[in-house]
Amino acid sequence: MTAPILDVRAISIAFGGLKAVTDFSLSLPAGALQGLIGPNGAGKTTVFNLLTGVYRPQTGEIHLDGRRVDGLKPNRIAAAGLARTFQNIRLFGDLTVLDNVRVACHVRAETGLAAAIFRTRAHYGEEAAIRERALSLLEIFGLSHRAGEYARNLPYGDQRRLEIARALATGPKVLLLDEPAAGMNPQEKRALADLIALVRRQFGLTVLLIEHDMGLVMNICEAITVIDHGVTIARGTPAEVQADPAVIEAYLGAPDEPPPASAPAPAPDSAKADP
Amino acid sequence: MLGARAAALRPGYGFVLSRAVGPFGAFLALAFVMQLVVVPWAGPFYEKLLMDIGINCLLAVSLNLVNGFTGQFSIGHAGFMAVGGYVAGAVTYYGSFVLWGSPAVHGGFLGGGDLLFLAGCLVGGLFSAGAGYLVGLPSLRLRGDYLAIVTLGFGEILRVLLQQTNDVIFVPAQIEAATPWQMATALGGALGFSGIPFYTTVFWVFVMLGLLLIVAFRLKESSEGRAFLSIRENEIAAEAMGIDTTRYKVRAFVLAAFFAGIAGALFAHETGTTLNPRELGFQKSFDIVIMVVLGGMGSISGALVAAVLLTVLPEFLREFADWRLVIYALSLIIMMRFRPQGLFGIREIWELWRKPPGASPAGRGAS
Repeated sequence: MTAPILDVRAISIAFGGLKAVTDFSLSLPAGALQGLIGPNGAGKTTVFNLLTGVYRPQTGEIHLDGRRVDGLKPNRIAAAGLARTFQNIRLFGDLTVLDNVRVACHVRAETGLAAAIFRTRAHYGEEAAIRERALSLLEIFGLSHRAGEYARNLPYGDQRRLEIARALATGPKVLLLDEPAAGMNPQEKRALADLIALVRRQFGLTVLLIEHDMGLVMNICEAITVIDHGVTIARGTPAEVQADPAVIEAYLGAPDEPPPASAPAPAPDSAKADP
Repeated sequence: MLGARAAALRPGYGFVLSRAVGPFGAFLALAFVMQLVVVPWAGPFYEKLLMDIGINCLLAVSLNLVNGFTGQFSIGHAGFMAVGGYVAGAVTYYGSFVLWGSPAVHGGFLGGGDLLFLAGCLVGGLFSAGAGYLVGLPSLRLRGDYLAIVTLGFGEILRVLLQQTNDVIFVPAQIEAATPWQMATALGGALGFSGIPFYTTVFWVFVMLGLLLIVAFRLKESSEGRAFLSIRENEIAAEAMGIDTTRYKVRAFVLAAFFAGIAGALFAHETGTTLNPRELGFQKSFDIVIMVVLGGMGSISGALVAAVLLTVLPEFLREFADWRLVIYALSLIIMMRFRPQGLFGIREIWELWRKPPGASPAGRGAS
């Protein structure tokens, strides 16, 4: 049994009086594909923001491949090998598709400002290598024919895939996908599941996935962590999680009897279940 | 992984040499042609106009590195120009006294005086870059309007400080007796720093502009430069992709300040200008911002075109000088209404006439 590649130990963050995430722990073995699910507002994206350094955890530790990364700035964490996509797409809209991916290659670049200005031999070599790497990623994601288009002009599904391609260009060990299938139709979702499986094999990646589409999560994830109100309420294989009464309660509300005093939550939840 | 492939893909030395050095040669040749062919043919009025155009191009293109490339909003560019101008002016004025006993132009092309002037430009640029670093480091944590206010404040503080300096020393005996600190604080105050020798020529202006254009275009087409652009596009995503946004913002600021300092040095040594704190106040800063906005944030060629337009037009509309600000304001309002992204948006002029770079024939517009 090897050490986990991503080891999260009891991280918490509170915004004022709101405990957004409490004692979240997770241990991802190398090569795993796991899911993180929970009702709206459960704190899933906050967990991602904690892992990638957007927020600094108030307690706990995060270890990436044996190195402690909590408290580092997001760019340092990306350099350490943790890449992500965003739930609300954050592409570089006025850059071309190719440039979006090339920007992400920059974190692995070794030549600096002087080489770029004086155009050294190393600069040309590196630019060629970056271009080659970016084009091969676009090829995998079926975006080669759009390389020269501005990212903002891409159809929605292509934008989602470009986000993943861009994240991969940073050369990550662990990839965090924040609702990669949001807004996709069933065919696109199936294609995306295949794509995730493919890149995971090809790049030897470890993947953690936030997703609302239960079909997708249950199909491709080996293990699932469920959180609600920032607290981990269940963990296990898809089948185990589906059968867990706490999970059913979090998603559908408690059965008719009054909720236990320790968990006053379900009432507002069921109220907003059908907007 | 990138490293090994990058080493394998290095081109031959001949290719690198021609590409790396070629543009310098081209701009040098252009500067010579301007000075030796265009200037004698056009006469002194156009010589002065050419220098003004070149200096404004330097200012607009350098500010574009901050406002256009990294999307920060700086409106204190004239302050950096003032730093460079005053430092370079002090170097040549007092340097000439120390070396040759008078502030007159000394030696011909690339003679002693020219070398002193070049040293002054460099030192002025470096001081200005240092000021850019000092202003940039704390204030680049601010965003949008707040950064704009800090840069505006920097320019105004500098203007007030310069107005408090002592009168220029012009008696050789007093200069001999003066300490370096006394010289450095005798910059003319509110009256302006007069007596700086007129070393600026069309040649030097275009040499410096050539340098800046090479730097700007090479940045835009390199991995480093794409890091600048990504900050403008989406700072959070840029950070998540491993870009050290603070570092690149400071770099943009320092580079821009360096070239603004050189522009200031050229301005200080130009025939018929007096280096005056009032001239380099926020109004000048706004003129430069207007050039960048008019040309299109991020477009180098746009900044050039706008700088040329906004330098030439007032010259030929001298009768309407009182209306200058009205015309500026109106043209900006009209532009905001009909073309809010500026004349060329973030693209270069030549990109307007073709499909987006590298687009294949299959790339049909899907918007």
